[in-house]
Amino acid sequence: MTRMFTISNELEKHGQSIKDWSEAEVRPYARQADIDHNPPANWREVIEKCPVAISRHDRRDRVPAARFTDGHWIKELLITESICYGDIWVNDVVGQGIGHLTVKLMGTTEQIERWYKPIVEEGGVAAFGLTEPHFGSDTSMVGTTATRDGDQWILNGTKMYCSGGSHANYTIIFANVDKSLGASGIKAFVVPLGTPGFIVAKENEEKLGIRAWRTSELLLSDCAIPLDYQLGWRGDRGDDAVGEKDQPSMRSGRSGALGALAQNKPNISAMGLGITQASIDVATGILKGQQAGFTPQRWSGIENELERMNIALERIRRVNYGAQWLLDHQMLNKSEASVSKAFGPPTFERIIRRCMQLLGPEGTSTELLLEKWYRDVKILDIFEGSAQVQRIIIGRTLMGANAGRG
Amino acid sequence: MYALDTTEETAAVVGLCRALALDVLDPAATSSERSGSVPSVVRNALFETGLTTPVDTEFGGGGTPTSATQTAAIDALAYGDPGLTMAAVWSGAAASFIGGLGTEVQRQAYLPRFATDAAAHGAIALYEGHGRSPSESVTTITKNPAGGWNIAGTKLAVAGAASADPLLVIGVDPSDGNLRIALVSPSATGVTIGPVYRQLALDAAQLSSVTFHCTVADEALLGGANADQAAIHLAISNVRILLASAMLGTSERAMDYAAKYSTERIAFGKPIAAFQGVSFMLADIAIRVAAARLDVADIASRLDAREFHNIEAVTTAAVNYVGAVATQSTRDAIQVLGGHGFINDHPVERFYRSAAAMSAIDFDPLCTAFETAL
Repeated sequence: MTRMFTISNELEKHGQSIKDWSEAEVRPYARQADIDHNPPANWREVIEKCPVAISRHDRRDRVPAARFTDGHWIKELLITESICYGDIWVNDVVGQGIGHLTVKLMGTTEQIERWYKPIVEEGGVAAFGLTEPHFGSDTSMVGTTATRDGDQWILNGTKMYCSGGSHANYTIIFANVDKSLGASGIKAFVVPLGTPGFIVAKENEEKLGIRAWRTSELLLSDCAIPLDYQLGWRGDRGDDAVGEKDQPSMRSGRSGALGALAQNKPNISAMGLGITQASIDVATGILKGQQAGFTPQRWSGIENELERMNIALERIRRVNYGAQWLLDHQMLNKSEASVSKAFGPPTFERIIRRCMQLLGPEGTSTELLLEKWYRDVKILDIFEGSAQVQRIIIGRTLMGANAGRG
Repeated sequence: MYALDTTEETAAVVGLCRALALDVLDPAATSSERSGSVPSVVRNALFETGLTTPVDTEFGGGGTPTSATQTAAIDALAYGDPGLTMAAVWSGAAASFIGGLGTEVQRQAYLPRFATDAAAHGAIALYEGHGRSPSESVTTITKNPAGGWNIAGTKLAVAGAASADPLLVIGVDPSDGNLRIALVSPSATGVTIGPVYRQLALDAAQLSSVTFHCTVADEALLGGANADQAAIHLAISNVRILLASAMLGTSERAMDYAAKYSTERIAFGKPIAAFQGVSFMLADIAIRVAAARLDVADIASRLDAREFHNIEAVTTAAVNYVGAVATQSTRDAIQVLGGHGFINDHPVERFYRSAAAMSAIDFDPLCTAFETAL
């Protein structure tokens, strides 16, 4: 079979209708959402206007989720890019977080029933609380503690940059049960919203970009949860516990956390594709109107650059689809997902910046969204594994475990 | 011959400006950006230096610095905040233009006020976007057959236009291709000042567009009808290169902040500075900034030597190179801080925004090329 690099017509059309919706319905709220550090109050209405179902399973009124031959993860990439084409704020309310993915990777059958299924079947948000003020990339440094007290865990610590933590149905909190064990003492715990001692210290940070995304600082202050809220909990006697032998996964908290992040990496790049394509399209439209103001030599340079920017985005799409095609075909994509996460974001920054520069002194004005997208896009090369961390992963795949151990 | 010693005067000025940057500008940066104005404590402190609104002693000022000193001073001030620094540079540049190019009457009319009143300021209507260099300005200043001069055109990124006196407009006379500069009151008939637009950064400088369809008297032409073309080019290059100086200070501050952070932040058992993925990125910033700073110093030396040859082209090249350096340096500095670089608790995000905003002002797409990062 010859190799193919195309999306099915059906999925292409599906994506286009999401893009059209996002441009018409989502983009008009972009500026205000940025100012308010919040999505618009009527965000449900905005989402309801989308003619096709977009990863929201709490909306079963009119449209059944469409099925495509392209594969689940490839579909997710196209939908993510299309959703963000209008603006990235909407991702905060459409996205469901990745906490439930952690449950699926690390939980027992019973836990998956209890916490994963409702999120995918009925909707809701599951947040992921790993990062703390004193660490990000080095996940072995989890300082939050979980102390056994009879039939419950007592959690204490601080989490930072937790997307959706202020309103998610539950947050997966990573905490260390025994610091003498080092990183292998890190376990994952389900902490439902409203649990006493689970405190939203700051609903949102003052940030450079993605201001409408509620990234919260969370405080765990003697927060008590039942023992079986620890993911993978098999009772005091481990494997002898009754009824829980069917789940083979006994991943450590840390490897589970990183596993959940890995699947989502190419989606991060897809978000950037949305706002970067939007930047090129907006800038192209304005520049065409100003063509007469440029010397022929400069205009030809600009046309050439806009074309090369579009070609760069096509290349980035191929890398992303390539990585997720592997997942869709039950193959490991650890290195490819890291390549995808590292490849797109720094070029997105350059494209958006160049578009502003081509537009001249007023290209950075708040009359346009490019300046916002230039602020938004910077996070993509940082969160869910920075460019530097991706290079460690890629280097170790290439050269073995010692690569990058300085 | 190379001669790279800095004068004692320049060294002293840099020390003073660096202190002002950290003690006065940096603490005021966030609130001034929010309010879109320069607080009077900052304005007065900068005014006192005599470096942003330079006036000769003859007119009651502190004297006019060389370009070498002034570029070094602006570089050091932007280390605190580029927005406040450029607000002062653009407001004060009229003093340099009038001092250097004006007739005796024009100097007497404006300079004593600039020397004594910290609130008095001009505005420079220079940039037009579209990658145009000053001599490619579409704005025209032409002799009116009935007397005086006609001004027609639109200027962008004019700082503090509404409260300026005078507005200093740079245009081309198509009859002989000469550059001309006119002094215009912002309230004159035929002068339309656009709304101050909020932007990615530099809000304290109050930028707007200004459209001119007006006639001014003969006396309003800076230096008169026979003003020295070389002197006009040198004065324009001087104000353009000050923007590059501010971008250098911006890069340096982001670099220093990230470098210090990298020695304090621990990951994988050691300070992140111990990892080459981090330290090499910072070293790359240092390499680029070192080269870019010599670009600016070279142009300053040409300006001080009154070397007019090719000055516009080399200025354009330098400003655009420094813009590329500043935008890359500031994004890399955020990268070193990771998530902390993305929140307002650290100043690096402000330098990231400021560098990009400055890089778009005097931008020529033919000077640098779009390249993918990988």
